Amino acid sequence: MTDQSERSLRERLDEVVLGLACEAEVAQIEALCARDPSIARQLERSRLRFLALDETADVEAVPAGLWARISSALDAVDDGASPRTDAQDSPADQSAQILPLRPKPSVRHWRLGALGGLAASLLLAIALGWSLLGTPQPTVVAVLLDSDGQPVALVEGAPDNTTLITMLEAARVPQDRVMQVWTKPDDLGVPVSLGLLAAARSRSLSVSGLPRPRADQLYEITFEPLGGSPTNLPTGPILAKGFAKAPIR
Amino acid sequence: MDAEGGRMLGVARRMLRRSDLAEDAVQDSFVLIWRKAHQFDATRGQAKAWLYTILRNRCLTLLRSADRETALDPSQRETASEEAMLDIAYNRLERANDLRVCLETLEPEKRMAILSSYILGYSHGEIAGRMGAPLGTVKAWVRRGLLVLRECLG
Repeated sequence: MTDQSERSLRERLDEVVLGLACEAEVAQIEALCARDPSIARQLERSRLRFLALDETADVEAVPAGLWARISSALDAVDDGASPRTDAQDSPADQSAQILPLRPKPSVRHWRLGALGGLAASLLLAIALGWSLLGTPQPTVVAVLLDSDGQPVALVEGAPDNTTLITMLEAARVPQDRVMQVWTKPDDLGVPVSLGLLAAARSRSLSVSGLPRPRADQLYEITFEPLGGSPTNLPTGPILAKGFAKAPIR
Repeated sequence: MDAEGGRMLGVARRMLRRSDLAEDAVQDSFVLIWRKAHQFDATRGQAKAWLYTILRNRCLTLLRSADRETALDPSQRETASEEAMLDIAYNRLERANDLRVCLETLEPEKRMAILSSYILGYSHGEIAGRMGAPLGTVKAWVRRGLLVLRECLG
């Protein structure tokens, strides 16, 4: 590492991006990035220059079992258990040093940053959502967070207001209550019911007569009496809520 | 968007050359993405670049880990097919793509060294072994190649 002071920073960043830097060097660069946002931006620029090469890879058929394995691995993470069951391989944490990050993020982090949860879930939605659910591409996607900032449900709204709700964790529905899904097609208007979720399970809801969903539209789930809210407006406690995003095509 | 998962698998397979390991890498990456998502800063980077960075890092860890044994040893791989993979990748870059335009200006050995590291996950030593060139020469190729690319890409 003696000659590194003489090497240009940009060259070092490029070598990290190519994958040629050793672990110690990667750690140093990560530390520099953490301290200096301008260096982090340079690293990002370098990554973007080479990203086109990733897009030259074949799009392989994803084996049916893989998404299921990923889902259960994510469940294991949420439960605080090991993300992997086959112990022969190194744990996923091993590569944590590559990013400027603490290796043991926990549920606490989710609670600390609702925004982070959103980013996480959006990514998951982007990466997992459509393939897991096998539905046409939605117009909007919203990740509903609870008051701790934990993602609870993924909402995908189709242009005809068919709404697919994927529960990301088992909701504790109080006895003699059901979950009711709401949206606000008009920011200034009242919430409109999209339907009930009797069981804490993922399902698709259909409602007609609503405008096509749009970005920034509010979605929320409340606990309501059996049969749904008597007033046709949310009356119960909010389980989770979130604003829609229009996925990038 | 199934394509993104499929593409990720393709990237991992190119680097790891085994579909079971590629699947593991994609799975591990999603766990990492899930865990680290709170650190993703949309103002600082593109989600896609972030996703692929995590994936490539995971593949590199698998490639460089001591227990990879012979299954991943580059000397066991077929050189011809690897060159073909690099050619395919290079040719798939659109002609108008800035990176392609700039890679075209490089001498073939510099281009090859850079593509081998990014696409196949080769270390300097592996590139040297594959190309039958001294390590110091390969390092110089990479550095000079990167310099030209940076200047070309602005």
